Amino acid sequence: MNDPGKNEQIAKQAKELFDDSVERLDAATLSRLNQGRHRALEELQASQHSAQWLRWAPAAGVAAAAVVVVMVMRGPDVVELAPVTASDFEMLLEEDSFEMFEDLEFYVVLDAVASEANGDVG
Amino acid sequence: MNACTGVFAVSCTREHSTGAKTLQRERQLNQFLAGVERRALRIAEIAVRDRDEALDLVQEAMIKLARNYAERPGEEWTPLFYRILQNGVRDWHRRQKVRNRVMVWFGRGKKDEDEYDLVANAPDQAGRAPDDQLQTQEAMQRLEESIHELPDRQREAFMLRTFEGLDVAGTAVAMGCSAGSVKTHYSRAVHALRDKLGEHWQ
Repeated sequence: MNDPGKNEQIAKQAKELFDDSVERLDAATLSRLNQGRHRALEELQASQHSAQWLRWAPAAGVAAAAVVVVMVMRGPDVVELAPVTASDFEMLLEEDSFEMFEDLEFYVVLDAVASEANGDVG
Repeated sequence: MNACTGVFAVSCTREHSTGAKTLQRERQLNQFLAGVERRALRIAEIAVRDRDEALDLVQEAMIKLARNYAERPGEEWTPLFYRILQNGVRDWHRRQKVRNRVMVWFGRGKKDEDEYDLVANAPDQAGRAPDDQLQTQEAMQRLEESIHELPDRQREAFMLRTFEGLDVAGTAVAMGCSAGSVKTHYSRAVHALRDKLGEHWQ
């Protein structure tokens, strides 16, 4: 039973038959194998392209973090406005106020005179 | 050349060398797959007894190898490729068992023999005499049937060692077991085949 010679013979004969069947594969099957191989190679290209992008990911992350840090350190760039009071609205709503704009020069002169008078007093 | 241009030039050189390396890797992988695909197909076909299924399994194995192991040294590709393929074949058998159980439950089970005709699937390319061709094909059919009847692990060990020509260590990697187990499975497979084919093969 345990005859190495016979075992080798079986393996050799099986290999010959197998190789023969490989040689007899038809063109359609070979074409499908070829297509499958090219799909695998496309997969390789795709995975390498994504790997190239991933290589830059740490640098992009560091840059984004740096921008965030700079923005936080500079603080909010906001102009503080004086609170709007009710009297401001009243002034805008009064009919007289429009007339005031029409006689603006008069009020400027009036203001100058008042200042002058105050200077005299002071 | 200012510093910025210098950095760009270094980056371009690196990209160029990476591109050349990638192209070389792609060529090597193409060469490897082209060299192994036919035998892999026949090995898978003997295991699942269906050419279309075998083609799908081989393609899946090629894609997985390219996706996950292309960067590994070329000499590791053969056992890794067959490991992926054998895993695919085992998964296929598991799915088939479940499917057959369901089909039997619905009363639509089929025998393997009804589905597959090896002679019809193997046209002769070498232009031999029809008698010789038929004799060879019948011998191969008997061999395939005998191999198919072996337990899974024995079948894997026999086909990887005999058909693919992997050594014990490579077969162990492909099968995911120890070298000792490979020797045991292979030895049992050969004895079983001698018993089955003995009367036809002398």
